[in-house]
This record gives sequence, C-alpha cells and structure tokens, in this order.
Amino acid sequence: MANTITQIIESAAAVAKGMSVTFKEMMSPTVTENYPDEPPKFEERYRGAHVLQRDENGMEKCVACFLCAAACPANCIYIEAAENTDLVRISGGERYAKVYNIDYNRCIFCGYCVEACPTDAITHGHGFELASYNTSTLVYRKEDMLAPIPPGARPPVIASSGTAANGH
Amino acid sequence: MAELVSLTIDGRTVQVPPGTLVIDAAKKIGVEVPAFCYYEGLSLQAACRMCLVEVEKMPKLMAGCTLPVAEGMVVRTETPTIAKARKSTLEFLLTNHPLDCPVCDKGGECELQDMVFRYGAGESRYTEIKHHVDEKQWSPVVYFDAPRCILCYRCVRICDEGMGVGALGVINRGVVSEIAPNKTDHLECDECGMCIDICPVGALTSGAYRYKTRPWEMQHVGTICTHCSNGCKTTLGVRNNEIMRGDNRDQSGVNGEFLCIKGRYAFDFYHHQERLQSPLVRKNGKLEPVSWKEALEAAAARLKAARDAGSKIGVIGSTRTSNEENFYLQKFARLGLGTNHIDHHRTGDVVTLLDALSGQKDALATTADLYEKPAIVVLGADLALEHPLLSFQIRANFRHHQARVYAVTEKPVREDKYAAAAIRCDAAGELAALETLREKLANEPELVIVFGDTVKGDAVRKLVAFGSSLGKPVKYVALVDYSNSRGAMDMGLVPELLPGYRPSGQTGMSAGEMVASGDLDMLYIVGANPLEGGQPLGGKPFVIVHEMFLTETAQAADIVFPASSAYEKNGTVTSVTGEVQQLKKAVQAMGTKPDLEILGLLVREMGLAAQIGPWTPDKVFQEIRETVPGYNMPLPVIATGGAVQTAPVNGRIEVDARPDLVRSSRDGLFTSGTLGRYSKVLNSVVEGRHHT
Repeated sequence: MANTITQIIESAAAVAKGMSVTFKEMMSPTVTENYPDEPPKFEERYRGAHVLQRDENGMEKCVACFLCAAACPANCIYIEAAENTDLVRISGGERYAKVYNIDYNRCIFCGYCVEACPTDAITHGHGFELASYNTSTLVYRKEDMLAPIPPGARPPVIASSGTAANGH
Repeated sequence: MAELVSLTIDGRTVQVPPGTLVIDAAKKIGVEVPAFCYYEGLSLQAACRMCLVEVEKMPKLMAGCTLPVAEGMVVRTETPTIAKARKSTLEFLLTNHPLDCPVCDKGGECELQDMVFRYGAGESRYTEIKHHVDEKQWSPVVYFDAPRCILCYRCVRICDEGMGVGALGVINRGVVSEIAPNKTDHLECDECGMCIDICPVGALTSGAYRYKTRPWEMQHVGTICTHCSNGCKTTLGVRNNEIMRGDNRDQSGVNGEFLCIKGRYAFDFYHHQERLQSPLVRKNGKLEPVSWKEALEAAAARLKAARDAGSKIGVIGSTRTSNEENFYLQKFARLGLGTNHIDHHRTGDVVTLLDALSGQKDALATTADLYEKPAIVVLGADLALEHPLLSFQIRANFRHHQARVYAVTEKPVREDKYAAAAIRCDAAGELAALETLREKLANEPELVIVFGDTVKGDAVRKLVAFGSSLGKPVKYVALVDYSNSRGAMDMGLVPELLPGYRPSGQTGMSAGEMVASGDLDMLYIVGANPLEGGQPLGGKPFVIVHEMFLTETAQAADIVFPASSAYEKNGTVTSVTGEVQQLKKAVQAMGTKPDLEILGLLVREMGLAAQIGPWTPDKVFQEIRETVPGYNMPLPVIATGGAVQTAPVNGRIEVDARPDLVRSSRDGLFTSGTLGRYSKVLNSVVEGRHHT
C-alpha cells in the first residue's frame, strides 16, 4: 500500500518538475523564428551567398586576381579576366573580372575566398535561399552576386547590357 | 687545367675551378644564394645587392655574384646578419615598387614576391609618396611598367648579349632611372620577348598574355614549336582548352632559355576565326561543310576506285606534320594506293650531305655543338632571321668560349659583328670564298659548318671534301625550313627514298611535277600549300586536302579534311640538327582531327586497316623505331621530353637526290609559311609589317 502512495507522490513531483520547465519557457522570450512568414534573423558574420562589393564610386572592387579561386577548397570559383580600357572601365584596378562564377553545387561556405580577397571585393552575404530543383541554376554569375550601385555614385562606364539575370 | 680551389660554404667543402664565382660554387652544392641581377651566362652587374654573403676575415658582407673563390675561403650564406641585410635591400627595392601584386601578371611567379615572402620585408617604413610613372607599351607584345622595375639590367643584357639586338638601354639617373628602348618610344627588334621572360619582376609584361589569367591557373604543356626547324621546346600555358601563353618555363629543351617571337607568341594561329572546323566536300562547284562520315566515305570511294582503275595518284606530304604521320602517309601511299608519286617541299639538301658523309663518324652537329665547338662557319644563311636558335647558340658560344665565327653570306648578317671573318659573295661564289679561309680554318682544332639551300648537290660534296681536306674533325648542319622538314625526308616522303634513306628503286613525280602535270587523276595533299601564290593545277585531278585553313590549295580541293595543328596532337618531330623530340597535345580544336587519325580512318574506310597497321602515335612510333634506320632511340629520353639525335645513315645513298628541287622559302623571323598568315601577333608587330 505504502508503495502505491510513494508512486503517486513521485509521479506528481515528476509532472510538477516537467511543467515547471514548460511554464518557465512560456515566460521567457521566444527563439523560434517564423520563417518563412517572417524574415529570419542573422548573426552579422553569417556566411551566406556571396556578394561582390562595389566601391564608393560604384566601380567593382574585384580586380580578377584569382586568389579566391586559388584559396577555394571546393574549386567552385571560375574567373575570366579582362583589361579595363578608357572606354570600358569596370573596376578600380587595371583588370576586372569579365566572368565571375560561383558554383553553389560545390561551395561549402568556408569563407576562405573572403579571407583571401586583397580588395575586400568578395564577401559573404546573408542570402541562404539557394535551393533549386535544377542544379544547373546553381552556378551564379557575376551579375547575380554584384552589390547594387550605391545611390549617388556615378561609375564612368557600366558593364554593357545583356548581362541581366539568367533565370533562376 | 689549373688545380681546383677548395672552399667551405655553409660548413660544406666544395672544389671548383679557379675564377668560379661564389654564387656558382654555392649552386654546385645545392645552396641557393638569392639574386635578381645575376643571371647565368650574362655579364655581371652587381646591381641588386641580394646575393650578399659572409666571408670569414672580410669585414663586410660581400656580393656573391662578383666574388671569385679563393683557396680556404669560408663562406656563410644564411646568417642573421645576412638575413637583415637582405631584408633591408628588399625594403629599398620596395620603396617605389607598387603593391599591385593582385593585378600584376608576374604575381605568383615573381622573384621579388618570393624573396619578400622569405625575408619578410612586407611592411614599409617609407611613408613618402611613391614615385609613379605611367605604364608604356613599347610594341604589341612588350609592356613596361617602370615603377615595378628593380633595375637589375637583365633585360638590357639579354637583348644586347643574348640576342645581339641591343634594343634596350637605361635613361636618367638615380631614383628616376628607367629602362627604355633605344628607338625613343618603341621597340624595333626581334620581338622575341626574352626581356619579358628574364624580368624577375612584373616590369616587363607580355601584351599577348596581358591580364588573361594567373600562372597557377594554367596547365603547362611542354611541346615543340611548329614554326621553324630549330625544334625549340615551348611550354604552353593552357586553361580551359585555350592556350594562354608560350614560354620556356623549365628550360629543358634544346633551346634552354631561348625562344623567339614565333615560339613565344605565334601559337595564336590555332584559334584564328578562319580555322576549318568541319570537313568540306565540293558539291555543284562549291565546298560545302559535311559530316566526317560523309567526307570519309566520299574520299575512300574515290581513292579505292582510282587505285583499282590503276589511275595516276599523287601524294604531297607536309613539312610540319609529325614523323608518325609522315611515316604512315608514305606507307598508305606506297602500300595502300600503290603509287610512288610522293613528295614534299624540300628545303635543304640533307640527302646529298648524308651520302657525302658516308663512312664518317660524328659528322652531324647537334644544337649543343654550335655552343661548344671552337669554330663555326655560317655559309649562305641569315641565321638570326631564319634559324634564331642556332644564331643564339653561336652568339653564346662566342660570348662564353670566344668561338671563332666565319660568316660567308650574300648580305650582311648579325654574325658579322663578332665574326673572325665575314665575307660577302653571291650564292655561286660561296665555296670559292670559303677556300680563301682555308688557312684559318685548318688551324682550328674543331669546326662546325652550317650551310643553307644555296649549297646543294655537287656543292655539298665539294664542301664535305673541303672539310675533310682540313684534317680536323668537322661537323655539318644542312639547314632546312620547317618544324619537321628533316623528318619528312627521314620518313621517305620522296619518290626515290623509303624511310631511313633506303632507295625505293622506283621513280616518281616531284611535288612541282604533280602540280604541273596534266595527266594526274588524283592528288592527295597533307598539310602543304603547293598552290601558294595562285599557281594553277596543270590538269584536273580530284584533289583531297588535309588543312587547318582554306589555303589556295584547299580552295582548289574537292574534299578538305580539317586537320589539327602540332599543338593539338601527340607524336615526334625531327629538328634541323636531326634531334627527335616529342610533341604533346595541349588543346583540342573543335571539329579537327590529327592527320594521323584522318589517314587511319580513311584506311579503315578503304578496308586496308590490316595491311597498313594501327594508327595511334605510340604504335606508329614503335614501328618507326623498329624499322627505320637511325630512329631506334631510347624511348624514355623521348617520352620525358628529351632530345635524341638520329643516328646517321653512314652508307652511300645511291639515288639521284634531286638537288634541283631544294628551295628554301626563306621565312624570316616574322613569317612562317602559311601558318604565319594566321598569327595575329606575327602580323601585328611593326617588323612583321615591314616584311610583307
């Protein structure tokens, strides 16, 4: 008999202990995010999809030095370089990236490219919605990653047209 | 020979001949003393102060590049004092050097970068504004960025001493001194790019490779230049099936550090927009692109019908296809088509030379001999323009060994400047002029005679008789024009000879006769342009051509197969000095096939595969090694990129060698047969334009 009573008391204590956690958490601020109903919150240093930065004049910072491609352990960065001329001036340096692709099939978001960049041209943004049913859309081109031209900036020449989004 | 001097470097004893420099003695035992201005083979400069070493009992650090060894010397090359001195030197060099490594073409293979990485002078105490000068373009292929220059004078010296051109000098003094072309603002020179190659920093950069990629992004394929017969190894930097640049990265070829404009830049014909990319068949009088299957079937049907009907078939081979292709072509012609009308454009009388040298040993010079032998005779050729490597070797020989050079030519040549004797005479008078040198030549311990196409037939025999009469060891080089001119002869692309200079015992038409002939039924042409300059065909033969471009000959053809260039195939070629080297496939040009594969497919289509044999380069080379006299060379040397001279025939060649057909096309530095037309670089340099 005494055994049964002990059992009841122990069960009640266990329930009370469990519920105390529940009630305590009900009172504390919520950490669950309502994604996709609300935009997710990121830490500043979150490593998401890359952004190719521009300088204050709206020129591309990338000078196509290939160091990001060299640092990349997944070998997912492909660059073709070209020379800035008086007529077509894309970057601040002598050279710019005519083609700059990142293959997100391969990218492991390690951030080595950002570490390697001598001009702070490539950075990790907070973009993370990269999922696709078609892997061929996961090769991002320069135009998909370039930061917008800052308001008020007047770059001497903007890259020629025909380089708009390629349909993700 | 003087006694060796023994000294201690970094605790290790080394014995070297007296007069050796400390930097070379250190190299001998594998100790690297860093230096910018010192370059083996060039005069000393002692401008950069990087090679400072500590020598016991000497109060200050000494420059290792100008310090001759002495008995009992104790040298240390890596001590804290030296590291400090080198770091300071680097800091000085970097005061005006821009930190633009990310956009500099030299970045990644820059000697200054490596040194700064090693000694850590990355941070500068120099806070003043750097002296800046805008970048200059001296020629389509040479750019100069003065702020990057560390004034090591390597470019000035290689141009003057190595090339014998002397196009570069130095202007101004002190911090504003600058390398500058001697023609005020541009270069008029060989456009060889040696100055770019030798530059330890990114001051001199190549216009052709400018900002294209970075050194570590490329695969480096060492192959043999296809433009002339000298057989220089050019290392092609390949990225994404595209050749980015040519250089002599590992200096492992017969050419060592040397390359001319053609080896360094003129690979660009391969992606010319007029390159053929699909087979063409003449339909209703017009060449129409068709599939390989259709073209091969059409060609095979015509060839089979012609052979079975006993028609007259002519075959013209190429001077730039590989030995394997030439061997297979002559086999196909003789066995498959049953014709002995086979020929190629002959550019030097090799056959008569080999015949005349019958019984003599070691009578054919190698490229190295031109650098090593104490006396060289140049007979009737402007080597600097027509055979730049041979010319470079002779200049180096004069510089390092004080070789006596005798130039007997029609026009002034670069060799005159340092020649022991330079004689002007017309082609017919060359041997007579040589006779006037008899006394001098007889006093030479050894001799190499280099002769061009003006010496042919009996003149070759007379020349050899002259050489023999001197009573000294004499070696010869019969100059030929193209990358595999020698190989075409060796492989029997002539009616009178089978591979290895065995008489065929049959007669046949020469290339010129085939073109002019009125009763030829078929003409099969591989990589040659006998109709160059609009020469018409004598008759109305059915013409099949392998070509890279729609040349005059291809335009007159009924079937055209798009062929691969030398940079797009494997195989071997034989240089002017008979040195066999390996071609390595660097890229694949869309729609083309190597000539060997085209021939192989055709052979299969004709049902002759069992008779003619397999058509992969290694199998055919194996067959050549087994069956062609002189080509049984050690495979490992060839396969690892080395060069082996073919053994001479060493017996009479009892045929009429047809010296009347020998005719050099006298391509200069800026032309290269039909290929030269399609090279942008060759056509862009100012000297090239002068020539056209």
